[in-house]
Amino acid sequence: MQDLKYTLYFETLLEEANNELVRKAVEEGDIALGYNCYYIPETLLNLPGTFSSRLRAPNCSQTPIGDYYLTNRNCPYTRAILERAVEGSYNYLSALFGAEACSAMERMEEHFEQIAPVKHDPFVTTIIDAPLKSDRAALVYYMNELRDKVVAKVAELGIDTSDEALLAAIEDHNEVSAIITEIGDFRKLDNPTVTGYEFHLIQLVSEVCPHRLILPYLRETLEEIRNRTPDPEPAFRARVILAGSEIDDPEFTKLLEFCGARVVGDRYCFGSVPSREHLDVRDSESPFEAICRHYLETNLCARFMSEDKIDQRTDVLEAMVKEYKADGVVIESMKFCEFWSYDKVLSSHILSEERGIPTCQIEKDYTLTGAGQLRTRFQAFVEGLEIKRLETTGKGAQS
Amino acid sequence: MKERIISFIDDKLKQFDPVWLAENGKGGQRTRYRDDGSGIARYREWRGVEDTFQDYTAWLKNLGYMGAMVAKDPIKVMKGIWEYRWMGSFLASFAFVDRIYEGYRGRELDIANIHGNAIVRILTLRIGLILHNDKRLGGGEMTDKMIGLDETIPPLFTAGFPTLNAEPMQTMPEFVVCDVDQHLDPYYIDVAESYGLAPDVCSRCSAETGVAIDDAFPVFGKLVLSTNQPCNASEATSMFQRRRFHQKGIEDYPFVFAMQHNTKNGNEYSKEELRQAIQKIEEVYDVKYDWNALFEKAKNMNHQNQIELEKWEIFATPYSPLSGINESLYKLVEWALVNGHDEYFNEIDDKVIGIMRQAVRDKYVPYKGKTRHRAFLWGPSAMYYTDFPTWAQNCWGIDIVLNMDSTMGHNMIDTEDPEQALEDLAKFSEKGVMRHHAVGGWDNVNAVWEWANRLNCDMVICNDNVACKGMNGVHALLEEQAQQLGFHFVFLPHDLEDCRTIPRKEIRKAINDYMSIVMGEEPLDATLVDFDDAEAW
Amino acid sequence: MKKLIGFLFKLVKRIVLIGLGAFVLTFTIYMTNAENKLIYDVVRPFLTKHYDNQARDRRI
Repeated sequence: MQDLKYTLYFETLLEEANNELVRKAVEEGDIALGYNCYYIPETLLNLPGTFSSRLRAPNCSQTPIGDYYLTNRNCPYTRAILERAVEGSYNYLSALFGAEACSAMERMEEHFEQIAPVKHDPFVTTIIDAPLKSDRAALVYYMNELRDKVVAKVAELGIDTSDEALLAAIEDHNEVSAIITEIGDFRKLDNPTVTGYEFHLIQLVSEVCPHRLILPYLRETLEEIRNRTPDPEPAFRARVILAGSEIDDPEFTKLLEFCGARVVGDRYCFGSVPSREHLDVRDSESPFEAICRHYLETNLCARFMSEDKIDQRTDVLEAMVKEYKADGVVIESMKFCEFWSYDKVLSSHILSEERGIPTCQIEKDYTLTGAGQLRTRFQAFVEGLEIKRLETTGKGAQS
Repeated sequence: MKERIISFIDDKLKQFDPVWLAENGKGGQRTRYRDDGSGIARYREWRGVEDTFQDYTAWLKNLGYMGAMVAKDPIKVMKGIWEYRWMGSFLASFAFVDRIYEGYRGRELDIANIHGNAIVRILTLRIGLILHNDKRLGGGEMTDKMIGLDETIPPLFTAGFPTLNAEPMQTMPEFVVCDVDQHLDPYYIDVAESYGLAPDVCSRCSAETGVAIDDAFPVFGKLVLSTNQPCNASEATSMFQRRRFHQKGIEDYPFVFAMQHNTKNGNEYSKEELRQAIQKIEEVYDVKYDWNALFEKAKNMNHQNQIELEKWEIFATPYSPLSGINESLYKLVEWALVNGHDEYFNEIDDKVIGIMRQAVRDKYVPYKGKTRHRAFLWGPSAMYYTDFPTWAQNCWGIDIVLNMDSTMGHNMIDTEDPEQALEDLAKFSEKGVMRHHAVGGWDNVNAVWEWANRLNCDMVICNDNVACKGMNGVHALLEEQAQQLGFHFVFLPHDLEDCRTIPRKEIRKAINDYMSIVMGEEPLDATLVDFDDAEAW
Repeated sequence: MKKLIGFLFKLVKRIVLIGLGAFVLTFTIYMTNAENKLIYDVVRPFLTKHYDNQARDRRI
């Protein structure tokens, strides 16, 4: 297929946190609000006059400062974020809204207050306590935490947090989500007109750039993909869903696709599942409650303990396998991640042993060190999927 | 006359007293041990006539408790030992008691043995009860009236169900038994890792996962309450454990607490969760919650906490014969396992506080006045090296005045108004084992300095559990704080329940290096500086 | 009466002797650490061998 017009531009935008569009928005007076985790609703940070910035640490291969503060036995994502913070990469932020979703994340976010690495005035850090269930009590707790520690703090920055402003933010969310979802749906085609790598780029720029500035590019890209001519023959040997924790490096998706897979579904932190679902406001709800309920319902974090949420994790994956006609699932966990280490083993067991879906488990660093080992694993997995398909259908490449 | 005879015997037998040997450069505690790393002593410690007989009678009493457990249901106990690997590890209990109270004399030993007997008593009672009602071993009259609790859920609230019996699921197969035998949990950790679990997760939770995969939990009750306490890995391991419980026909219910306790929102949420957990038990067992039954046991707990607060005052003085593992192990068992349910522990508390008050009146200086440093032990301690504080005192004169986990929930619980009681219980319960200070925000962990100051400590020893992501995340900040505030500060590396990653010898080395290189001090007992106990229980 | 006193004397003597014997036995076990040696050298190796050969229902 012909390259997308903005592939290179999107790659450039992902080179650094304080990218061209972020700088432009800040220069124009918008307030940048940082976050790390899906527990902080992006929608609450995209109010008129503010924009959300999900923190990444692109190309961060060494983390001596992060290691010093958090030890080298801790989550490499959090170490990289702290490293970049101390280097000054996030000096455009007016706030970091954290979530005690995991200890590593919480400790890293605490350092934004304790050692004040972000040189911006004003700069506030708050950390919500994130619920582990999805019942009414959990929702009430979630709402109380978000109201006190996010909305109130945004209001203190002089931002309108009224219902009207929240409705505008929901509208913005739904517009971005509709575009990303439609682009993502092209991955369902037998011969998809968007690659996993390209989709990863598109999804990421929608999370790290101000929506009002990235939307024109997204709209144009959607139009381009609608009219895109696919390759005559599929250039992959197996279709896979990629699931796991923080995957914010599109090079990882590229590596997987380089090994003969096509990533047709993304169910990981920073992915489109969850994050790009339509957000409804029900009759009985305020916009704020709708946002909180939506994010609690769609959240697929590996830390949830209630039965409905535990089942939801594998049910969503199984549904995606069917919907996207995937041959298998790759489940990733980051080194030193307690939650995903457990969920990787459990989900892999449920999918492969109980639901008959081939699964490959891998553990990786934040950056792509150890790419050689991963390549070998992926090649073997893709080969296995291909053999399985040959045995069952007699067909080689996907058609 | 009696004193003269005792004095005569003591003088004649002093060459068997390791403390005397160390004082006179003729040996020390390790002199009496075998040289094979087994940690088995060739003969027991001679502590002088009075203390040896005191220790001997305590040993007899422990023997009696164990005998009583077997005598009550010998077949189930034998079947339990045959069925469960962890039951075999409990056979190391005698050596364990010796190890943790090594070198103790006088009033320290008096309290130690009172505590030791109480611990052995309650453990044998509970093990006996579990085995007697274990469906796998044939079941008993209480089998369907038992509630499985995650070991880190404080069981006081279950006192409102006087016809039911709540037992912690993991305490016997994995938690307490790791104190007794360091080589047990690595087996379960290997089981979990053989199924793909990463080796860098918390070893306690990894071991629990291994117990579930290995089908080694006792089987009882209709419901298990899992929890998010104390941290991430606990939440995650419950996903595995619940599957095993379901396979045994036992329902699970996640009873979660606010991670950020000490907040209004958090307390409200924990209270609501507590209310729902009570409702769940009512539904599953078809019983009604009895507030008066709760109030009765809450009074026990309040009494315990009142005494605890007084103990903290005495800990701040140089006259406390209670410290180190003697303090923390008893506190752990009394708080996390008993939690107000057993009046016997109130009697023990009364007896011990009496000895402590007398010690203050007498200006009694413990450990023969050999204490050089008063240390606060912060962070979750190595389960496989329970006797570390004893070693630190005997080898370097470091008195572990208090342990982080001894600061668990100590607010009083209302004993008249159910709504207020619920609120108090929520606050109390969310400050559990490895939980109160280790997670939930910087202020909780940074409270160490306040504690150390309050108890007149000059040193903070910070447990550095290599797999604890939360405590790893405050590494540098704590160290910088210690420098600013002028505390002696040592990180104590360990891997909680996996003795292979950082063996006991390596743990000791961290202190040896600090004491000899940084402090420039000489050991009190040179035989304790470097020795091999890799094969010891 | 004499018979009774004789019986009581014998009983007390027996109790004292049994008590003394029990004390000597248990104190010897205690001081020589005999029970721990037995458990470490004999009982645990036997049990460990048994545990290692157990067939367990291992699964997730």
